[in-house]
Amino acid sequence: MSVQTLIYIAGRLVKGAMVLLVIAIFNFFLIRMAPGDPAQVMAGEAGATDEIFLQQLREQFGLDQPLYYQLWIYVSNLLQFDMGITYRQQMPVFDLIMDRMPATLLLTGAAFALSLLLGVLAGVVAAAKHRKFMDSVITVAALIFYATPLFWLAMMAALFFSVYLEWLPSFGMQTVGENLTGWEKIKDIGLHLILPATTLGLFFTAVYARMTRTSMIETSRLDFVKTAKAKGMKPSRVTTHHVLRNALLPVVTLAGLQAGQLIGGAVLTETVFAWPGIGRLMFEALFQRDYNLLLGVFFISSAMVVLFNLVTDVIYCVVDPRIELSK
Amino acid sequence: MNVIKSLTHNKVAMVGFAILSMFILIAVFGPYLYDGNPWRMVQRPFIPPFQNNQYILGTDTLGRDVLAGLIHGARISLLVGLVSTAIALLIGIPLGAYAGYYGGWVDEVLMRFTEIFQTVPSFALAIVLVAIFEPSVYSITGAIAIVSWPPVARLVRGEFLSLRSQEYVLAAKLNGQTNRNIIMREILPNSLSPIIVLASLMVASAILLESSLSFLGLGDPEIMSWGYMIGAAKTVLRQAWWLSFIPGAAIAVTVLSLNLLGEGLNEALNPKLSGNREN
Amino acid sequence: MKKLMMGAVIACLPFTANVYAQAQDGGTINVVVQPEPPSLMIGMYSNATTQQVGGNIFEGLMRYDKDLVPHPLLATSWENSADGKTWTFHLKEGVVWHDGKPFTSADVVFSIDKLLRETNARLRTSLEFVESITAPDDYTVVFQLKQPFGPFIRLFEVGTTPMLPKHIYEGTDYKLNPANHHPIGTGPFVFKEWQKGSFIHLAKNENYHVQGLPHIEELYWHVIPDAASRSVAFETGKIDVLPGGSVENFDVPRLSELDNVCVTTDGWEFFSPHAWLWLNNRQGPTADKRFRQAVMYAMDREFAKSVLWNDYGKIAKGPVGSKTTFFDESIPDYEYNPKKAKALLEDMGYDGSPVRLMAMPYGETWQRWTEVIKQNLEDVGIKTKIVSTDVAGWNQKIADWDYDISFTYLYQYGDPALGVSRTYLSSNIAKGSPWNNAEGYVNKQIDQWFNEAAVAFPDTKREELYSKIQHQIVEDVPVAWLMELEFPTIYNCKVQNLVDSAIGINDAFGTAWIKQ
Repeated sequence: MSVQTLIYIAGRLVKGAMVLLVIAIFNFFLIRMAPGDPAQVMAGEAGATDEIFLQQLREQFGLDQPLYYQLWIYVSNLLQFDMGITYRQQMPVFDLIMDRMPATLLLTGAAFALSLLLGVLAGVVAAAKHRKFMDSVITVAALIFYATPLFWLAMMAALFFSVYLEWLPSFGMQTVGENLTGWEKIKDIGLHLILPATTLGLFFTAVYARMTRTSMIETSRLDFVKTAKAKGMKPSRVTTHHVLRNALLPVVTLAGLQAGQLIGGAVLTETVFAWPGIGRLMFEALFQRDYNLLLGVFFISSAMVVLFNLVTDVIYCVVDPRIELSK
Repeated sequence: MNVIKSLTHNKVAMVGFAILSMFILIAVFGPYLYDGNPWRMVQRPFIPPFQNNQYILGTDTLGRDVLAGLIHGARISLLVGLVSTAIALLIGIPLGAYAGYYGGWVDEVLMRFTEIFQTVPSFALAIVLVAIFEPSVYSITGAIAIVSWPPVARLVRGEFLSLRSQEYVLAAKLNGQTNRNIIMREILPNSLSPIIVLASLMVASAILLESSLSFLGLGDPEIMSWGYMIGAAKTVLRQAWWLSFIPGAAIAVTVLSLNLLGEGLNEALNPKLSGNREN
Repeated sequence: MKKLMMGAVIACLPFTANVYAQAQDGGTINVVVQPEPPSLMIGMYSNATTQQVGGNIFEGLMRYDKDLVPHPLLATSWENSADGKTWTFHLKEGVVWHDGKPFTSADVVFSIDKLLRETNARLRTSLEFVESITAPDDYTVVFQLKQPFGPFIRLFEVGTTPMLPKHIYEGTDYKLNPANHHPIGTGPFVFKEWQKGSFIHLAKNENYHVQGLPHIEELYWHVIPDAASRSVAFETGKIDVLPGGSVENFDVPRLSELDNVCVTTDGWEFFSPHAWLWLNNRQGPTADKRFRQAVMYAMDREFAKSVLWNDYGKIAKGPVGSKTTFFDESIPDYEYNPKKAKALLEDMGYDGSPVRLMAMPYGETWQRWTEVIKQNLEDVGIKTKIVSTDVAGWNQKIADWDYDISFTYLYQYGDPALGVSRTYLSSNIAKGSPWNNAEGYVNKQIDQWFNEAAVAFPDTKREELYSKIQHQIVEDVPVAWLMELEFPTIYNCKVQNLVDSAIGINDAFGTAWIKQ
């Protein structure tokens, strides 16, 4: 890697860090606009308490301090990579998020890989059979998956494959109460993964298929492809070597954008399938008014987006060396 | 006109247009024609579809008319979809136009601002916004608009960047036209077609987003919506799958029709991008 | 199919009725815990699930049977003086904490007088009536009351007054004590492990002070955040016990009809959850008594009971639950009568100004119930707008009196002085809490009767006063009573003798056993 590239990456990271800081502060104020506070939620669950108990909780959480002071504490902790303690579990926010992160990464990673593979494949096939039957089938299927609400698809899949056919487990990540180890455990998680990953992936499969198809068709009309054809190269070789390589550029961009968003977008899938990831964690933190935890989830997932965008740009450069990073 | 001609010749787009028109008609006139309060408990709960002559699509967990719910739901879906897209355009177009037209530090500041909204996971942000401002048709529409304007700004900025050095723009500048005039009269009209295409797709995703929020229990409690119907039927999925199936299918068909129309518009407005020309 | 299941239910009844005679030792029970408790430290957190799990680790001085009669546990006997003002408790000897230290009267005095007085709001109110708590010797505790306090004898279940180890908590910051993460009690189960977000593991206390108990070896509480997954886990046999309220009501009939599944509504007698609508007595149409009565007549509570609660529970007649002492059967009914409701509205000259109805964010059933009530109210011409919010917003709006009508349910705690008067005493009107007189009802006569009844002696005097109170409150309708809720506990029939106290699952597992 050249020095120039490294400087570019460093510059991007600094800019990204600034954006993240602004986001953290913005979110800090945003969440404080919500009615109620964590003490009220916890007291509310307790059923019967009084103002004294609420005050005790607020003192314990540091919520009795003035807002600007709380912000100061939060930001200065954040700059030391400390995201605070969750109110409810009394655990470091970072630990709790990292506890839940593998589940989300597994789900979104599987969905992402599946959709990218399947989507690009379908797109290539459709473009190769442009205006033929297969093209129509793929295009229509992609449109339908694109239009179907994810949560609804998830529910229907659970109904059909778990309740009706009884093939797959429909909820959770592992079988409750069976402390499996080794291969048994991997198999168990794998089985639980199929439905959520597929339903989450189908939407993106549709996106990538459409994009690849359009991009392939456009690229194949470009001059250098025509030249290659004219030179007598085999059509399959033209497709893989010239067309696909270039057609993938917009797909990579989109994939980079979506890889980051998948973290937040998994809320629905995680809700329907009771998948113990950070999407659900965020949802719970919101209703618990667990400020630190919610801010932490937002911070981490925004950081992922920044990171993925950077990675995308670097990949972009690898796929197409003509594009300069310093653009 | 060329565009309309091209659009009317596109069968797929016309199918989308036909379905969409039907839904718009239902949304606008349905509640007047089909007399039924979607919240009223009218019959025993859990009547399956096509078993009762009066309530064709059956009744839900409380014995409410599913068909009435479907008709009223069309209204909120389309309303939220259209209004939130309009707001997103109102935010995104000026931002993108100024950034692209002026460039330099204006561009830098506006694009950093846009980047913030693109970095926060959008669905999560929408959830938080609706929860904080408490679910109502206003907070939902607002939240959807807030998370969906950045692509508009990006697109418009790109268009302006490439158009601002065109000859007719330079000519207008030499003529002494104000920047405002140039933006409004010269460049914007010429970048409308990709915006229209994007807008049609945005309406579709706004409808999906609204239904997702309602499904999570963040819908307006006063308004029957398709997402709400699915969310409320979630717990009885095993006993009455059709209660989730029917509104879900309604969403899918509506969004599909919007996408078909959007595709058609794209082909009609941007002929160079579409696959119309054979090699 | 239905017949078969009935057979299963009936078949397991004789065994549950039978106590220790043929109990078998050993085995593991898997229970659902929803939501995950913030802590197991029952002395500082009164969350329902803290009590469910913690009630098996900690103990109170007494246990109460389904008729709320106290039975010995850490106290072997007790007596009240003739004037009703001195209570003497004799403690069980030879009881040890989970860390091996002996349990003595010093622990009792410390727990009640120091720790719980500081951390437990509900007990603090009752301790107002207590002059002093002393320990003449290691196994005797004497409570000197200022006045006779009728409900005193109902204060000693584990959730209200858990016994906590003095040697661990004395002189520390209670909230930050490390023992909160590794609770030490005297109960039948010792704390083993808590994997946050996954499960809590308790194991048999080998040195338990009751001979031959507990029968169960291991107890796992599983955190399963999704209601549908909880049902599935139960169906597939991974879960043996679903405590009341842990699955959606719509799922209850289906689950209870499965083979080898037992259902009981017992074990809530002490709490008797009472649901009502807060009606803001201060402003708007709800300030008018006729409007509030109209609300009572407008509600089709039978419909809600059968459709939303699968016919579990009972229509609430008034402020006092039918399982609570001093309930008066003779108070008049508000039947479903839209005509009467309309007449009352007309009489008051209701101008059609809209009222806000705030939903309770506690799940599907409550959401649907809000929609049903809205329809009921609109049917008699009350313009109603649903306001939707989450738990934090809901608590805050009630506490700030920023509502017109809203749902709630509260526990009765077996005695009107503990669980009823708090909602109606005008001295209990204070912003900042959603559990006091949040409706703003002021009736000096009622105040006086309630205050007299709490300290009246003997019980016949109390009964008389509470009867008068119930008749007057039912006439005033400060809140609109909905239902006495029942939360069925659903469990695998192999679990025997599961619920045998008035707090049910909260202290169930010390005496439960598994039929192999």
